Amino acid sequence: MSSLLLRSDVMDYRRRYRGIVFLVVLAFTGLIGRLVQLQIVEGDQHRAQARKNIVRTRTLNTTRGVIRDAHGQVLAGSRPSYNAYVVPEQIDMKETWPRVAQLMGLTDAERVEMEAKILGVQNSRRANQQTLLKVDLRREVVAVLETHEDQLEGVEVSPQAVRYYPYGELGAHIVGYMREVDAESLARLEGRGYRSGDRLGAVGVERRWESYLRGQRGWKKYVRKANKRRDREAIEKRYLEEPRRLEPVPGRDISLTFDIELEQSVERAMRGQLGGAVVVADVRTGRILAALSKPSFNPEVASGSKGKQAVRDAYKRLTNDPLKPRLDKTISAAYPPGSTYKPFSALAALAKRKMRAHDEVDCRGGYEFGKRYFRCTGVHRGVNLHEAIVQSCNTYFYQLGEAMRIDDLAEVGMDFGFGTKTGIGINPEARGRMPTRSWYTRRYKGQYRGGFKLLAAIGQGATTVTVLQLALAYAAIANGGTLYQPQVVRSIETSNGTVVQDFPPRVRRIVNVDPDRLSAIRSALTEVVTTRKGTAYKEHIDGVDMAGKTGTAEVSRVSAKTVDPGRVWYFNRDHAWFSGYAPAVSPEIAIVVLIEHGGAGGKNAVPVAMRVVRDWQQLRARRRAERADKKKSDSL
Amino acid sequence: MSLYDSRRRRYHDQFDWPLFLSVVLIAVIGVVNLYSATSPYALSGRTGLADVYVNQVYWLVVGGLLAILVSVIDYRNFERLAYVLYVGGVVTLLLVFVLGGEIRGSSRWIKLGSFTFQPSEFMKILVILAVAKNLSEDSKSESRTLVDLLPAGFLCALPVVLVMSQPDFGTSTIYTLSVMAMMATIKIHHKTLAALAVSGVLGGIGLWEYILLPYQKARVTSFLNPEQDKDAGWHALQSKTAIGNGGLTGEGFKEGTQNQFGFLPDQFSDFPFSVFAEDHGFVGAASLLLLYGFVCIWSFNVAASAKDRFGSAVAVGVGAMFFWHTFFNVGMAVGIIPVVGITLPLFSYGGSSVITVLVGFGLLMNISMRR
Repeated sequence: MSSLLLRSDVMDYRRRYRGIVFLVVLAFTGLIGRLVQLQIVEGDQHRAQARKNIVRTRTLNTTRGVIRDAHGQVLAGSRPSYNAYVVPEQIDMKETWPRVAQLMGLTDAERVEMEAKILGVQNSRRANQQTLLKVDLRREVVAVLETHEDQLEGVEVSPQAVRYYPYGELGAHIVGYMREVDAESLARLEGRGYRSGDRLGAVGVERRWESYLRGQRGWKKYVRKANKRRDREAIEKRYLEEPRRLEPVPGRDISLTFDIELEQSVERAMRGQLGGAVVVADVRTGRILAALSKPSFNPEVASGSKGKQAVRDAYKRLTNDPLKPRLDKTISAAYPPGSTYKPFSALAALAKRKMRAHDEVDCRGGYEFGKRYFRCTGVHRGVNLHEAIVQSCNTYFYQLGEAMRIDDLAEVGMDFGFGTKTGIGINPEARGRMPTRSWYTRRYKGQYRGGFKLLAAIGQGATTVTVLQLALAYAAIANGGTLYQPQVVRSIETSNGTVVQDFPPRVRRIVNVDPDRLSAIRSALTEVVTTRKGTAYKEHIDGVDMAGKTGTAEVSRVSAKTVDPGRVWYFNRDHAWFSGYAPAVSPEIAIVVLIEHGGAGGKNAVPVAMRVVRDWQQLRARRRAERADKKKSDSL
Repeated sequence: MSLYDSRRRRYHDQFDWPLFLSVVLIAVIGVVNLYSATSPYALSGRTGLADVYVNQVYWLVVGGLLAILVSVIDYRNFERLAYVLYVGGVVTLLLVFVLGGEIRGSSRWIKLGSFTFQPSEFMKILVILAVAKNLSEDSKSESRTLVDLLPAGFLCALPVVLVMSQPDFGTSTIYTLSVMAMMATIKIHHKTLAALAVSGVLGGIGLWEYILLPYQKARVTSFLNPEQDKDAGWHALQSKTAIGNGGLTGEGFKEGTQNQFGFLPDQFSDFPFSVFAEDHGFVGAASLLLLYGFVCIWSFNVAASAKDRFGSAVAVGVGAMFFWHTFFNVGMAVGIIPVVGITLPLFSYGGSSVITVLVGFGLLMNISMRR
């Protein structure tokens, strides 16, 4: 073997050596070039990404404002609700799960259902996400679970703010409730910080004043996993840029004009009635002191404190209920007012000089008009306007109606606020209807009949009003002709009680009415209650000082086709009304009671109004005494 | 002159200080870097992983002793034994299929007592020795043809096939590329070169179509579109972010957030370079690359000055192996090469890898001292 030849190959290599070294230098230059690109040219960008990796932002939740009544009682607030979650990936189904089920006191059915749910997601992508186990745990259960926390891996209990309504169903239609924001609202409210899963006011004050009540979320930057490290503060100082935190702004509190104690007595007075509505308003301000729509619903369940399933169930049940619990019957529904409308017909006739106060009509139990016979409630013989109101004589008003043009009736009615929205601002408002000649022409295709105005004069026919409209119109009678805009919100405050915005009473209109005529009507309304002939006299409670007018409104007949046959009798019964004010002299409150399908107003609606006014009198006396006491102690 | 004296003289006069010092420097930096890479585990109390840098020191000691042993025995003894060692290596590779335990979907390891070792790592040296012997035995001085290269090609292909089926794409790539580098140093006929180029392209297509497993392909496709495929491209993306986060001077020792907060995956096996680059920035990372580059060039230098063709070929093989490891590992860390599990010599944690690299340098030292 020649060493020369061996050498030649090595020599051969030496010639290629430069080439190889060149390639190696090229390769390392390439790598270093890449380092220049990544670390120097794009360095800031990568550093930003690296910071983004470790710096997270946590949302700081705000608290929704509290809704209170006029005397500071909380009607809607927030409380923590503890929900239990399971992380399917982490839980040991053999050891931990039976213990969890036992500690939480799950029933066998719940246990089996949950077990299936956990096992269902255990092998899916959602295995590392919280799966809801139970909402709104009782406090004892929360305590037990927290005590055994270290033995219950994969079980998490976390608080969530839910809305609570201490008075439950009371005034639920006005106060409102919360609902989860849906995709459509999310799109509509874009830019206002709503997120999927948020709740917002669904009806009532909660909805109308959402933007005030809601508050504003804050945020806080933190370093991922830093809480496990001892040098946490140094780390946060190093990696977190200022500002590190934005404090949440709590929602505004809202004080209502409501008096929840009065609302409670309204509720007591309405017990035993299936459906109806009551409004109590301050005649000097138009503020709503109480508003009840019956049947009501539990706003807490509707707001989701018992979980989504409970919300769906409640919604379904409420929607299918023939008594329409979701409907706010004080604002959103219009009814024929019946005889409670007679004072306005009387005022219209006097204003248009079609009747004089002392003109008498002979009531023989009805009135023949054309081919039809219009019936009266009884045989009243000779009655003038005053007596016609006290005894609620239809015959008198038929003749009154016949003497008038229907548009004149409507004109005075509209002056008192009927047929238009009151502007209360919450809940969809029904207009009601003051039928005019042109309305009938359109409705009956030119077949206007004279009988229409007879019915309109007694608050029947096409005339409809809302309970709220009626209350404000009676307030106008009581206060000498001022029609107020109804108010439910008295003021807006910050969470520490500073008043941000105050809502003084707003006058809609001074009704064009002669004060003497108004006082004539008032004296008639007083006698409805105080004289033996008065339609409300029989149900009079001693010591109750009030005036008003009863009403029994016929309803349009329903057949067994549209409602449950067993309930036809109920839905064909008349509505019972009472509208009035108290006290009879220098009135303070107006009250309207409607009992749906309650029969005769004098017999059924009057007792309710009587009891409410009695309670109001006691409440007023107590409050005055308290104020006097306070003044005394203040001056001491 | 006694044998002892001549040996002592070699260690005195011809000891390759630049190579020795560079390798020791890389090894020391590597251990320190491993300490930084695994420090987050110490905080979270996972001491098993936090102590890998201590184990690495053990492996370095074992590997260092083996390297000294390899460097003092005249490399011509290895030349004689090359085929025997090669056959022994192939047998061990076959044993993997029988005894091998599966870790993360591939069986590469053999358990020996409480240690596991990876035969495919040691096989790198054995393939280099066998191919070097084969290439140096053929004493032709004219250009080689395809037929002349067949035996060497076979010596390489056999372990490549075995390792591919473990499956371990990275290691078989290292075999192939190291052998190709060795072949590149000899004269090859132009037609043969053309044929090799054509078969290389066809082989590449065949590899993609029939041999690569879906997860291996996914690494390549995710490399081409890292944003599209978050799962497979994630590692590469986080590594790039880590390196970029280092900036000019780095976040500081044990301060790189990408590593400290657990965004770097496999930081002590696949991505120790990213940890280093994040801690020490461009200044540190570029200096480290210069050090690696120096060792590569120095190896080829040794090859150029070797006293025979075998020594030269072995030096080229070891240098090429070192180069490809470095190039692939750093390349994937900086995101210019798909993520394949190729270690960074003396930086990545692993006994088999450390010992293989050090034994390789033992051989290089051997050749360097006997030029």
